[in-house]
Amino acid sequence: MIGRLFRPIKEGFRGVVRHGSMSFSSASAVTITLVIISLFLIFTTNVSRFTQGLEQVVQISVLVDYDYEAAEEEDRISLEIGNIEGVSEVNFSSKEDEFQYYIDSFKDEKTKEAFEPFRESNPMHDAFYVEVKNGSELEEIASKIETVEGVYRVNFGGSSAVKMISALRTIRWAGGLLALALSILAVSLIQNTIKLTIQARADEIAIMRSVGAKNGFIRSPFLVEGILIGILGSVIPVAVIYFGYKYLYEMTGGYVISNMFELIPPIPYVYYVAGVILLIGIIVGFLGSFFSVSRYLRWKR
Amino acid sequence: MIECTHVYKKYKNGVNALYDINVKIDQGEFVYIIGPTGSGKSTFIKLLDGEEVPTKGTVKVVGIDVGKLRHSKVPVYRRNIGVVFQDFRLLPSKTVFENISYALEVINMDKDLIRRRVRAVMNLVGLEDRGSSFPGQLSGGQQQRVAIARAIANRPKVLIADEPTGNLDPGMSDEIMSLLEKINDAYGTTILMVTHDMAIVNKHTKRTIVLEHGHIVADLESGGYVRHDR
Repeated sequence: MIGRLFRPIKEGFRGVVRHGSMSFSSASAVTITLVIISLFLIFTTNVSRFTQGLEQVVQISVLVDYDYEAAEEEDRISLEIGNIEGVSEVNFSSKEDEFQYYIDSFKDEKTKEAFEPFRESNPMHDAFYVEVKNGSELEEIASKIETVEGVYRVNFGGSSAVKMISALRTIRWAGGLLALALSILAVSLIQNTIKLTIQARADEIAIMRSVGAKNGFIRSPFLVEGILIGILGSVIPVAVIYFGYKYLYEMTGGYVISNMFELIPPIPYVYYVAGVILLIGIIVGFLGSFFSVSRYLRWKR
Repeated sequence: MIECTHVYKKYKNGVNALYDINVKIDQGEFVYIIGPTGSGKSTFIKLLDGEEVPTKGTVKVVGIDVGKLRHSKVPVYRRNIGVVFQDFRLLPSKTVFENISYALEVINMDKDLIRRRVRAVMNLVGLEDRGSSFPGQLSGGQQQRVAIARAIANRPKVLIADEPTGNLDPGMSDEIMSLLEKINDAYGTTILMVTHDMAIVNKHTKRTIVLEHGHIVADLESGGYVRHDR
């Protein structure tokens, strides 16, 4: 019984070794395509991260008119802003807090002290910090907030931030689509390579059938072979991801261009990406041999 | 053992391969099937091993109506018959030992039994010391002996040999013939041998069925001299 279970595995390993050159060419096809896919995967996930980061940064600050600083008025303003479509969060910050934040934003003590005399006659406004669900709606929502009674001024990240977000979105979409197209291309390339190697073994399959082997008996070692080829083909891409991304991260110090574009920290990110790539390799190897072998297992009679 | 009643075979492309074939072959017989190219010999073999189904009539082998077998049952049916081909059809990436044992692994035979069986048939065909060689390292005659060993390893009741000497020189052919006769004697295996080789037919005389244009034109019970242009 155990022997019956291990036979395909043993035979699969044997097949890979004894058809060395064919295994090599199939595994190479897998390697090339997986490397391309992993580059795109890393690219799009990072761009996605930039966008998310940027979206968190952009929030709308709403200053309350001095005449509307009463608690009930501010409750009303908060409610009205909260009811605007696309607003996800409204947080209140008192003028005292604002003053403290302002002072804290200076690093040296001297400057900090220089501002102290103004604490009494606090020139700051009470403020609301508004977060939006979608960065591209920032401008629209800001203009709606301006119409709320008691709002003194509305500030937001500015149109450049908005443009950046929409540009990154486009890049992410384009990257994702390209990755998808490449993956489809990759699967067909791999399937063709495996098909070729199995075509060369069509005679072998015919012989197996003529000695009375059932389809499952013939197929199982080929499936193991396909999986092994997928694993072999994933070795280099996984190494590229693991060492390459860590290297990139250390080289750049974790940022690209400016502090705004923070790279995803390599641990545990590289494990996930490597895992996904290995999984793709295994699935592609398995499916590739499954479809190719099945073609020769149809009974002609 | 083998019984064909009013068997017709017409291929989809319109070729009429066999007309009204009626043959009965008993257990333990050794029969030649001869005839020119295109006479229907290959079709006859294909009907016996389940590769083709008759258009009309019944083909019964070891009591099984081969034409009515479902596709999924064909592999199991094939275990009843051993087949040897002109081009040997050995698995190139498997050793001699593995080629023979494969036919036994297929039927889930016990490992120890497989090892004993394979050794026994390797002895019978005289290749006891070539177990770890690959087919490519053997001569044509040796490869054919491996193929025969594989075909008889699970002791089938019927052995079909399709031009087994077609690729071999006369000396080798004689060797293969003696081997087949030995198997026929030792195990009582029914042997059907398709051949072009009139020298063999006339030297090792046996029952001979002559096919021409899809008809059986002669069934010589005790064999005998057959003209070379047949």
